[in-house]
Amino acid sequence: MKKVLSLLLVAAMVIGILAACGGKEAAETPAEENKQEETVGAKIEVKEEALNDVKVEGDFTGQDIRVFIFAQEHEKTVYQSLIDKFTAQTGANVTFEVTTSDEYGQKLLAYKAAEDMPDVFYVGPEAVAANVNDGYLLPLDDYVDAAVVNNLWGTVASAYRYDGKTAGNGQGSLYALPKDLSTFAFAYNKDIFDAAGVAYPDPANPYTWDEFVEVCKKLTIDKDGDGEIDQWGCANALQWALDAFIYTNGGHFLNEDYTKVVIDGQPEFVDAFQFFADLTCKYGVTPTVEQDTALGGYQRWLDGQIGFYACGTWDVGAFMDKNTFPYQWGLCGWPTGKTGVSMTRNGSVGFAVSKDSKVPEAAAKLITLFSTDLEGQRVLSGETTGASLQIPNIMDYAKGDFKAKIADGTIPYGDNVDVIFNYIEGTDKYRGLFVETNYTYNADWWSEFLSGGYEYVLKGEKTAAEYCHEVQPAMQAALDNAIELQKAAEN
Amino acid sequence: MNKKPKFKMSAMAKREERWGLIFVAAPAIGFVLFMAWPIIFAILTSLTKWNGSKGFAGMMSKYCGLDNYVKLFQDTKFWKTVLTTVIYLIGIPVGMILGLILAMGMNRKIPGVRVLRTMYYVPVISSLVAVSILWAWVYNYDYGLLNVIIKTLTGHHGPNWLGDEILIKVSMIIFMVWKGLGTSIILYLAGLQNIPRSYYEAAMVDGANGWQKFKNITLPLLSPVTFYILVTTLIGGFQVFVEVQVMTNKGGIGYSAATIVYYLYEKAFESYQLGYASAISLVLAVIVFIITALNFKVQKHWVKTID
Repeated sequence: MKKVLSLLLVAAMVIGILAACGGKEAAETPAEENKQEETVGAKIEVKEEALNDVKVEGDFTGQDIRVFIFAQEHEKTVYQSLIDKFTAQTGANVTFEVTTSDEYGQKLLAYKAAEDMPDVFYVGPEAVAANVNDGYLLPLDDYVDAAVVNNLWGTVASAYRYDGKTAGNGQGSLYALPKDLSTFAFAYNKDIFDAAGVAYPDPANPYTWDEFVEVCKKLTIDKDGDGEIDQWGCANALQWALDAFIYTNGGHFLNEDYTKVVIDGQPEFVDAFQFFADLTCKYGVTPTVEQDTALGGYQRWLDGQIGFYACGTWDVGAFMDKNTFPYQWGLCGWPTGKTGVSMTRNGSVGFAVSKDSKVPEAAAKLITLFSTDLEGQRVLSGETTGASLQIPNIMDYAKGDFKAKIADGTIPYGDNVDVIFNYIEGTDKYRGLFVETNYTYNADWWSEFLSGGYEYVLKGEKTAAEYCHEVQPAMQAALDNAIELQKAAEN
Repeated sequence: MNKKPKFKMSAMAKREERWGLIFVAAPAIGFVLFMAWPIIFAILTSLTKWNGSKGFAGMMSKYCGLDNYVKLFQDTKFWKTVLTTVIYLIGIPVGMILGLILAMGMNRKIPGVRVLRTMYYVPVISSLVAVSILWAWVYNYDYGLLNVIIKTLTGHHGPNWLGDEILIKVSMIIFMVWKGLGTSIILYLAGLQNIPRSYYEAAMVDGANGWQKFKNITLPLLSPVTFYILVTTLIGGFQVFVEVQVMTNKGGIGYSAATIVYYLYEKAFESYQLGYASAISLVLAVIVFIITALNFKVQKHWVKTID
């Protein structure tokens, strides 16, 4: 009996110890995979002298401004330097509180519940309506020069307007100035194309879906000959990439006034979703669902296993860092469905001023500096750091100096930066848009889509049509609830 | 008419009484501020559609009666999380049996037993987030320790532990058993060492074999410990959150790994439905209360003490 017990103990211990050892070497990457908006790898140093020429007008002596945002270290350095210039030149006092993007929402909620709102805080386009209805946002029309607003990208200026009925349609007052305007372009690994002897994609003519599949098939190979595929044509994280397939096919999740979920039986949507899934389960040109849970597409892209992958404007700094991504790469359009127009999602977060702020003029001046100061934009867009994290908010600068500096190599960038500009500005072949969650009170209906078991479609165990039919009632219930909550908030 | 005799306190007694009141006031105020008020606040919140805005007044302006509760009882997603949470409780008896076996083993004089005891307790004192990340890698489909072992031994690729609706629950249960084993072992060890040797000696004199001694002495006299472990782990079992948050992607495939508290968290801090989330928390509290009360009710039939 003693021996048996001892053996049991030893066996259990060995398993326990092995478990502990096995995890160590691998536990370094998973946290990054869910946070595509964070720059991986690239160490960015901001030199104070880059902001020496910042000039601020106005006298706000003795006024206290409280700023609460989330930021990465290098962004924090930029904003802190701008604050230092602002306080030195205007006499204002600024309290600068920075948190992580994960914690931001909860902390802001606590400030709201405690009725202790900061003067300046972040708000995304999707939250403008709710925050205005709750009385948190100051209309900026009287505080920000029209010239400043006119020099912002039209897309983003529209996104922060709200007329009391629908947000983001360009009508009504302006409630925030953009911290950035991002777009989710498509990138390709040139080294993989070269090795496969495939011509690079033509940014002027994005692939059709059929062409895209054919190219992906050529890139999907077993490189080491062990019988298993280890390089794929593309990898798509559904929660970020599905829109690019749905919208280009003329599909949509909701009806025009965002009150009904309309995916069940909608051919444009169902076909697009099925095509998206077929890339995995029929054509086999992406990692399988199982392989994707083992190592996400982002990590595989960085490891050089993927031909095409999504590239946010914030990713450029990391992709140009040779330690992070030691490959040549370029930008191209997402493949096109029925509409023939390549589409993707735009994103943004903006600086807003609290409606209860006792120093609205000073706060508005500060966010104008954050959003549109030329020197600050030069740093964030990579001209003075060599790592681009965003497209400049100032249109003149973006189209002029910024592009020129990319062309002459001062700002390291992947080939075909015009793809990004095309998505932001819109052309006959490209269009970027804010996804439908931006126009509803919350995104619970989208969460229902994500938690309903879409993986079974990607595995080929269910068709897209069946899944849409099954999940639509839960999505509709969540949307109805959101509408009800919105009405409660408006009362 | 009888008058109450007047009792005059000395100055010293008065001073003592004052100090006494001050000392009592500290926990009393603490209770009101940190226990009673939050409970009342949660109850009030559950009767509103509050999204966190405009403080208490903002909350009360969104009063909606019992709407949240009505919705909750019709919410299939909520009931799915209740079922998943209950399934996870299977790990409790498994952990208790394993804990007892290991405790009995460690209660003997085996070389290195102290080291073993310490090592089994390490998961208990480790950060839950850290060990959850570690186990997510153990379960990794391609690179995880488990599948590497399976592949080495059988030549076949192991299953997708965290990517299948049933296996993900099994994986979570295994993890929870591993994490809680140290506590059960320590408690059972203490219980075993409290059983007087004379009971076993008397049984030996009567010719009892090992199983009879275990069945008639060890098990009954460990029942208070078993009861304690059962009650505390059941309460803890209904509050599982961190491992789901860390080890699964948004509650796992088809929301198959999500627990009640995970759902509560999503409602409260992702879609800011604080009223609805409060209703969930109160229903959860009622469930836990009923189960704990039932445990206490039933314990007199099976919990034995030396007395």
